[in-house]
Parts: sequence; structure tokens; C-alpha cells
Amino acid sequence: MTGEEIIAKVKASLPDAIQDTALPQGDAVIFVAPDCLQKVAAFLKDDPSLKFDYLSDVSGVDYLIEEREPRFEAVYLLYSIDHSHCIRIRVGIEEENPSVPTLSELWKGALYPEQELFDMFGFHIEGHPKMERLIMPKDWVGHPLRKDYPLTTEAVTFSYNRDFKSELVKSKPPTR
Amino acid sequence: MTLNMGPQHPSTHGVFRVILEMDGEVVETAEPEIGYLHTGIEKNSENKRYVHVIPMTDRLDYLNPPGNNLAFCLATEKLLDIDIPERAQALRVIMCELARIASHLVWLGTHALDIGAMTVFLYCWREREMVLDLNEEISGVRMMTSYIRIGGVAKDATRPWLDGIYDFIDYFPAKVDEYELLLTKNPIWMDRTQGIGVLSREEAINWSLSGPALRASGVNWDIRKSRPYSGYEKYGFDVPVYKGGDIYDRYRVRIEEMRQSREIINQAIQRLPTGDYKTPDNKVSLPPRETLHTSMEALIHHFKLVSEGISVPKGETYVPIEGPRGEVGFYIVSDGTNVPYRVKLRAPSFMAIPGMCQMMTGCYIADVVGIIGSIDIVMGEVDR
Amino acid sequence: MGLIEEAAERVGDEVNNLKLNVQDAVEAMAHEYAGSLYDSILTTKLGKVVGWAQKNALWPATFGLACCAIEMMAMANSRWDAARFGAEVFRASPRQADLMIVSGRVSQKMAPILKQIYDQMPEPKWVMSMGACASCGGVFNNYSIVQGVDRVVPVDVYVPGCPPGPEALLYGLIKLQEKIMAEAGTEKAKKRVA
Repeated sequence: MTGEEIIAKVKASLPDAIQDTALPQGDAVIFVAPDCLQKVAAFLKDDPSLKFDYLSDVSGVDYLIEEREPRFEAVYLLYSIDHSHCIRIRVGIEEENPSVPTLSELWKGALYPEQELFDMFGFHIEGHPKMERLIMPKDWVGHPLRKDYPLTTEAVTFSYNRDFKSELVKSKPPTR
Repeated sequence: MTLNMGPQHPSTHGVFRVILEMDGEVVETAEPEIGYLHTGIEKNSENKRYVHVIPMTDRLDYLNPPGNNLAFCLATEKLLDIDIPERAQALRVIMCELARIASHLVWLGTHALDIGAMTVFLYCWREREMVLDLNEEISGVRMMTSYIRIGGVAKDATRPWLDGIYDFIDYFPAKVDEYELLLTKNPIWMDRTQGIGVLSREEAINWSLSGPALRASGVNWDIRKSRPYSGYEKYGFDVPVYKGGDIYDRYRVRIEEMRQSREIINQAIQRLPTGDYKTPDNKVSLPPRETLHTSMEALIHHFKLVSEGISVPKGETYVPIEGPRGEVGFYIVSDGTNVPYRVKLRAPSFMAIPGMCQMMTGCYIADVVGIIGSIDIVMGEVDR
Repeated sequence: MGLIEEAAERVGDEVNNLKLNVQDAVEAMAHEYAGSLYDSILTTKLGKVVGWAQKNALWPATFGLACCAIEMMAMANSRWDAARFGAEVFRASPRQADLMIVSGRVSQKMAPILKQIYDQMPEPKWVMSMGACASCGGVFNNYSIVQGVDRVVPVDVYVPGCPPGPEALLYGLIKLQEKIMAEAGTEKAKKRVA
């Protein structure tokens, strides 16, 4: 099925759960609110003509710099092995207490990426068996992939930029 | 008993930690812990221009740098909506298949070394040196080539490189037969790998496995066939699928894939198209150096591309490719500037780790090493 | 006028610091090599023999972290044979190794483990920092990579490259062997086994 057919079928079957649809470069994309996510996902998995049985990835995006409401977004990529088509679900998540329900009952492959969403963005995944840090150390404070988290706290040590160097030389304490 | 198979271990293929709850010699649960190689490449990419992200993508899955480059460039080119000339596509296919062979050679060498066959380790690296010499010939670097760029490739194919590839494809099939002679019918190998680490078809799909591990469980899913990219539909090759789902079948899938990759390189190089090696659109790729002396537009484009970089239209996209470990893809969100807004790597090893730990329950401690080797995880892309 | 005085003061500070640093360094060197003047010829020669034995049998501990580990494995293989220099036996247990080749990027989570493995190695031990990431943080200047492994362990030889080719790593190994021979029999070698 092509992108348009998939979107038409989903919109016809679940008209109130889908907020918006899009077709960027031929890919089928649907926008869903967090509370309707599990219903939409279960439909996508069980319907025989859609049959999205493979969850490829779960990503998170922080739209702080673009100043978009809602601030966060979780993106789910689903494939169908038998029909060989794919769909992207974009779930907008609010800034205050960001949370999204888990899809790990439908696809076990969602366990790790959702844990990473908690680690990197701070989303609370409702129903996930293990809400712990995955990639950062267990006692790390902050969620690194948010846009207000700094990339680094250390300036570059060596630079061919002369003004930069003089600042460093001035601030270096004498060795004795 | 709790046994820690710590981050520093000769057989964990990188810094991977598994905490095993054992009952005697049998593993009851396997709890993985990752993050010891977290590099923050995704956050670092949000502060670099598109062409500067390409060398960073090299270092994600460090056994398959051209594949990562290709996935990133395909996603960016989809957002830019440009066409790639056929010669560039063929050169990309050749580089990616060479990388697949090199990666499978590393896998075979280290996997066999873990299980105990040391000769295979030395043999595999001997062939890998040939592939790395080809890399060095075409791009100057042995491993992190950054050869595949947005709009095409970095440099045109040279005569020594083409000669080297012809020599390699003549020499290689006999070597794959040599590895098979050493391992496939070896009773020790068969005892240690058959029937171990089994994952059924439905489980493999549910746990989001991909690549050779998925094909060894009976699922005929190869992105080069189902969603072809970069001209793969023009080449005739088979996709090995086995039904057992154990370590032995994953081994056979990868050995057969090495043969098929050699076949693809053979076809690509026999009918290498003439033409440009990168798109002639100068808003995306650098103009030829000779024109810089005579044409003002070329000079301006060159200056803008080097100082500012390309500006990608606003949008988001995802393009998967078939890497040696499975489906590699970049989910790129662009905000219209010359710096990507969000770069997310879909790493096949990351998605395979929970499934791998599921496989470990109920087997002996010695099989844990074999299972980790058979899934072929690379921590660079797991931790990013 | 104020600017010129400021500049003159800064230059004066720098020159002063340089003088004091050179004084310190010369004193330290004199102390270390003075030891050999007071040793008899026998113990110096014995030290040289011990140094010769140590350098020709450096056993690396497997500490391959990332991409550099692949080039380290390539160095151990048949094309660039590290066995000819004595470094063929990559010990899995740090208790049996004397050279730690930190090959790859060290993240904040891995740094305590790096220190633990270094502490578990018996003396005398040497550390070779392989690659740009281990030497100075490499391409990655961000929140999660330790900017140079010498913030955690003392390093003897730095091998630059991303990743350094096996021939570069072998050159680093040879330089380490030269360092061991140069230090052999002197105070510096004795400090290593303190």
C-alpha cells in the first residue's frame, strides 16, 4: 500500500484519534495525542491489511528552539514485514511532566528505546517496567539531549585564534 | 550466584556489561548494562554543519563507516530532493559492499576466536587488510573513510583502485571456501553453535531484531530488496534465509552474505557507468577545481559551500539501509539552516540487545560468549 | 600608557615563570640521574639487563574500547606482527599484564573502571594512550568524553591518529621500549616499582 492509501485507511477507521496527517516525500506520517497512542498502535498492528508487526525505532525530539507547542515529540517508526510498507507516528508531548504510554506490550523491541527516551529527554513512560538510566551513569543529573542542556562545560584547550589564546594565558595561574 | 561479565572483557566485543544470575553453570537471567562508550555524537551533531557530521557518523558503527555515511547522506539528500548520478551510486554500492565484507571478516575472526578457533582470526584479518588497502587507495584513510558525501562521493575511482578490486574479487571466493572448510563441518563448531541461542520467527520480529539475525530466524527481510536504495535494484543477488534461528544459522547467513557481496561488487564494477561522481548541482557539491579559475559562479558556490555549508529545507525524514548488522537509518529533523536540528541513529545492535539477553536465559555460561558473538554487536552504535 | 605597562608586566610574569620552571626541571633531572653516579657499575648494568628484559616482553592488557581496538587487533595480526616485539600475548586479566594500551574514547561512565583496571595491574606498568580520543578527547569535545585519559591515569606514550594505523602503534611501542631502556638502572625505573 502506498503512503496515501495507508493514511486514508487509518483516518477512515480512527477519525477522532488522529490529529493530523502528512506525506513528506512519500512517507506516511500521522500525528497522534499521547492518550490515543496505544489504541492507534494496537489497530495498526492487528488490522490485516496494515499489519505493522515490526517496530523499527523510537526517537525523541526537543522543539525548544523552534518554539513549537507541544515542546517534545516522540516518533515511532513501524514496518510491515508481509506488506513491506511503513508508517511514522509523531506524538506531541507537553513540557510539564512529559509522559507517553508504553508500547512494550505490543512490541517488546520498544523496551530499550523508551528507556533511552527517559534517560536522554526525561519523558516518563507509563507502564514501562524499568524507568532507569540506560546510557548515562546511574547518578547523572539532567537529560543530555534536551536543547537547554549544554554541550560541554569546558572550553577548547588549544586554539590558533590569537585573541582566544591571550585570554587563556591571562587566566592561567603561575606555576610557583 | 551473580556473575559480572564486566565492561573490560576479551569476549564482549567492546565495552558491554552483562550481569548474569546463575544456577550452577546455567544462566537464569542476563541483565545488560550499556553506556560505557557513550560519546554524545547525536548532541554533538546538532552543533556541526552537515558535511562535518559525516566524519562523526564514521565513528558510530566503526566497522561499517561507509554504511553510516551512506545512511546519513541518503536522508539528507531525501530532504534536499536531489538526484544522484549513476556512477556515484555504483561507487557507493561498491564501498558499502566492501565494508560489509570487511565487517563480516571482523565478526568471523572475533567470533571464532571467542569460541576457540584462533586460526580463523589470523586468516580473516589477512583478507581484511586487502579491503583496508583499497580504502586507503581511494580515500587516504584505512578505516574511517568519509568517502560518501552529500551529492555523491568524495573522489572519482582511480585506476589502481579498480585494479585492486578486480584482484580482490578474483582472490576472495577461495578464501570464503577456506573459512567454511575450517568451520562449517567441524564437529566442535557444530556442537558449540547448533541449537543454542534460538529465537523463533515471531519472537525475532517482536524483539525488533534485524539483519542476519532476523534472516537466520526465517524472516525474508532485506532492505536492499524490499526498499532498494542507491541502485540496488539493478544488481542480481540472493538473500540467504535460514530457519533455525540458532548461532549456527547466523554464521551460515553471514558466510553466504560475504559471497553475495562479492557478487554485487563484481556486477557493479563490470558495468560501472561513466559520468559524474557527484551531482553537478553546485549548491550541494563542490564545483570542479579547474572551473574555479574561470567561472565566478563556481568560485562563489565553492566559497559558500566551504564556509557556510549546504542549507537543507525544513522537514524530517528517515531512510533505512541494510548494514552488516541490520537496519541502519538516520532520522534527521532539519529546521532550514545549515546545521541539523536532530540526528538520531537507528542502531541495529542497540535494538538487538534485549533480544540477545532473552536468548541467554537457560543456556550455559560458555554459550553466552557465543551468543554475543553471533549477534555481532558493536558498542559504538549502541551507546552513540 | 596603562596598556604598555600591563603588557610589560605580563611579559615579565611569563619570563619569571619560565625561569622558575626551568630551575625546577633541572633540579629534578639532576636528582634522578644523580642516583646512577652513586650506584656501582654492577647495579647499573643489572638495571640495564632488567630493562632489556622488560622492554622485550611487554604484555598488553586487553583494553580495547572503540575503533582503535580494531587497529590494535590488526597490529597483533600477521601483517604487522606485534609478536616480533614481544607484545603478542594480550592478557585478559590485568593482574598478568604490564602494558595498558587505552585504545578508544573513554566516557564518563568508563573512567572509574579504567582507573580500577590500572590499579589492578602490578608494577612496573606502563600506559600507552592510543588514538586522538585517548590522548586529548579527539573529535569529541562534549559532556560525556573524558578529555584525555591522562586525567585518570599517568601516560607514557601518546600515539596520535584517528585511528592510528598499526604501523603508528608499533612505532609507539618501539618508542616505549626506547623509553624503558633509557630509564633502566636509574632512579626513574626504581620509582616505578615503588
